Amino acid sequence: MDEIIKQTGVVENDHVKKWKDDGGRVIGYVCVATPTEVIDAAGLMPYRIRALGNSNTEIADAHMSRFNCNFCRSCLQLGLDGIYDFLDGMIETNGCDHLRGMVENWNYVKKFDFLHYIKVPHIVDEDSLKYYEEELRLYKKAIEKHFNLAITDEEIWSQIRRHERIRDKLRTIYEMREKDEPAFTGAEVLSIFLLATAVPAGVLEGLLDRVIEERKDNKIEGYKARLLLGGSATDEVDFVEEIEGIGGLVVTDALCYGSRAFWPHIGDKKESDPFKAMAKTYLEKLLCPRMFNDFPSRRDFLFSAIERAKVEGVVLIHNKFCDVHGVDNVLLRIALENKGIPVLQLEKEYGAAADIGRMKTRVQAFLERISDSR
Amino acid sequence: MKLGMSPGLFDRLVHLFRVVNRVPDPVLKKLGAILMALNVLPSDLASAAGALLAPQSREAGVVFLKMLSKWIVEAHSAAREGKKVILVPFNFPPELIHAFDKAVPLTSEVLTTMGVAILKGQGERYWDIAMGLGLPDHLCSANTIELGSMLGREDFQPDAIISSAPGGCDVNSKIHEFASHYLDIPQFFLQKPPDDSGRGREQYSVYMRTLISQLEEFIGEKLTEDKLRGVIEKANRCTELYFDIWDFHKAAPNPVPNIFALFMYGTRFSMWGREEGVKTFEAMVKVAKERLAQKAYPAEKELARCVWCYTSYYYDFMGLFNWMEDQGYSHLGDGLDLYFPQIIDTSTMDSMIEGLAESAWNMPMTRQVGGESMSRSWTEDVVFVARELNADCVIYCGHHSCKQTWSVISILRKELMNQLGLPLLILQGDSWIKKMTPISVIQQEIDEFIKNVVARKTTKKRELRKRKKIKSDLQ
Repeated sequence: MDEIIKQTGVVENDHVKKWKDDGGRVIGYVCVATPTEVIDAAGLMPYRIRALGNSNTEIADAHMSRFNCNFCRSCLQLGLDGIYDFLDGMIETNGCDHLRGMVENWNYVKKFDFLHYIKVPHIVDEDSLKYYEEELRLYKKAIEKHFNLAITDEEIWSQIRRHERIRDKLRTIYEMREKDEPAFTGAEVLSIFLLATAVPAGVLEGLLDRVIEERKDNKIEGYKARLLLGGSATDEVDFVEEIEGIGGLVVTDALCYGSRAFWPHIGDKKESDPFKAMAKTYLEKLLCPRMFNDFPSRRDFLFSAIERAKVEGVVLIHNKFCDVHGVDNVLLRIALENKGIPVLQLEKEYGAAADIGRMKTRVQAFLERISDSR
Repeated sequence: MKLGMSPGLFDRLVHLFRVVNRVPDPVLKKLGAILMALNVLPSDLASAAGALLAPQSREAGVVFLKMLSKWIVEAHSAAREGKKVILVPFNFPPELIHAFDKAVPLTSEVLTTMGVAILKGQGERYWDIAMGLGLPDHLCSANTIELGSMLGREDFQPDAIISSAPGGCDVNSKIHEFASHYLDIPQFFLQKPPDDSGRGREQYSVYMRTLISQLEEFIGEKLTEDKLRGVIEKANRCTELYFDIWDFHKAAPNPVPNIFALFMYGTRFSMWGREEGVKTFEAMVKVAKERLAQKAYPAEKELARCVWCYTSYYYDFMGLFNWMEDQGYSHLGDGLDLYFPQIIDTSTMDSMIEGLAESAWNMPMTRQVGGESMSRSWTEDVVFVARELNADCVIYCGHHSCKQTWSVISILRKELMNQLGLPLLILQGDSWIKKMTPISVIQQEIDEFIKNVVARKTTKKRELRKRKKIKSDLQ
């Protein structure tokens, strides 16, 4: 676990360095609507962009604006600072308006060697599914063309099966954190997830096996309440540590740097065509508020996690200026309140140490509220 | 639709516009002038009336007001007549709904703008209702003010909501989704694939056809070729007149009153495809033609020709348009006027639906930031307009909720300078809420920008100052 935490603390970790030293190529992506199985099938390494709480956004602010989400500005800053120079290409999606702006500015200033844009529909329906399926085929072709290689359906199926095994292992970790005597803290699981999206798939399986074995008899004790953390893109391990430091153990989450990214299973689909299978899973089970006709799925996903992990209170966060989560969190809060589940809605500055005192005070009051209601 | 007296934004507008609707045009013209002269109108209303019925645009202002009154009163009467009220966003072509006998369109942003422009207290009480629910303060007030009025259950409720912002604007899409869930109102979608290839455009047609089928089922009426043709023919007439005004804009001094920027898109978003829409455009063309013939201009001299690349400001009861004109600053239209309509082939049902899809594809925001690249499509349009209309500068209103435009504004600024050598003024202020930035500050910034940047640029080329050699340089 210590090694995972160490590797998570940097963008270009030792596994990435070794992959590059061995002649491997790395493709960046930002959004969970990117089927990374295709990148793996090409023999490339997918790497999910993160900002790791970076709060210096001076250059990025000059390109984007203070009205844009500071997570995106933080990622842009790292990109312009050269921290991501190890990337050999980038996959863009229309995850949200801020994210699109981030990639456009990044590419405007420092042209990517390879940039492909997967246009992900915002609505779940038959028309959109067909379009997205075709998008995934174009995505495969673009990689083949740029890197001068061929990706077979067999290789994609092979990677889908490998990703299924990884998803299963991540679920095992979630079962271990969600049980009555949790084996992991929320900050630890976030670290594991962050590393899981920043190492070669071949390395990842072994890492997850080791951490599951290491923590099988571990018990986290001394916490005041079992919390679920949901909302905006959150890769700030420090933020979760601060919440847990005052007694709120994050026993599960509904984050895109968390359960929402790996919960759906492609293998469940009875499809012979890998693109059809991936399209159905990635679009129908996207569980992201950028889908504008699928709120009930997100609400039900949240309720199901609450029940599974015996959650006593829900903390819904959104980064300032994040529109999709900012609005969705209100609908979720209302749904939770209607069910009598304690909920705290927080708007926060990404990566801002100055904001943490205010956040802790709110969480502290929330924990007292939960305690009083027992 | 639920009827009855309420303090909601829509209902308050209905009361006002019902009066406007009953007053004959000539009387309204004279009455407006008399009331203005006597100074008897409440200050807020007087300010709006002053802008809408200013002498240089009064002829068209009256027709525009009558058009809006017809639009609003029609929606209010719809329920009694067994019609459904469909709430649409500004980037949806309302002519599609006009083609149904049993449905009427209402556009949330137009309602908000009219409410902010005309009603006492503007839209802040409705914004506060939305904020009271815990919604973020960085939402779009253009939507949230009208929807806030609905969310407080003080106002009318539409029978359905169409969301055509997915692909073009997250904020707009999200607040409409919220209202649909919160109020349990059915929602239909027209999403824009951010895909400039033919494939994206074809897919958009598929979405349009699916939407039409869903609407037919919901409204309980089949779209007929004759009714659609009637609407499209009027839309085509509006298109011709739109380009007449476009051409007038090229003349210097600009013969098109500044406030026509608002009248043009106000008509596009409400009565495009209706006789009232045609009349409004005809009235605007007439005014501009006369002004061109007389070489008339409200100020002594046209000092600067400005293109607004996104929205303008509406919270000062539309006074900014006329204030600019009084200073000699021509407003050549804003981003909302960039919908570049095309004549639709009315020969078959299929050609008309295809034409509607093309119109929707080219609606403002959808066409620009809904493009494959938010900055490229937007830049192409703004550069084209600035070049065609011989603009001296571009102004960005900096409405705080427009995250897509804010995120690529620096690219637009650089490209304008690189391609045309034009400066871009970036303002900050909520276009519909006065609390954010006082209009005096906006005016001052525009003034300083034009006097210090634009005017100097046109008078002489700036020379680099030679730096005196200092000791450290010599070492």
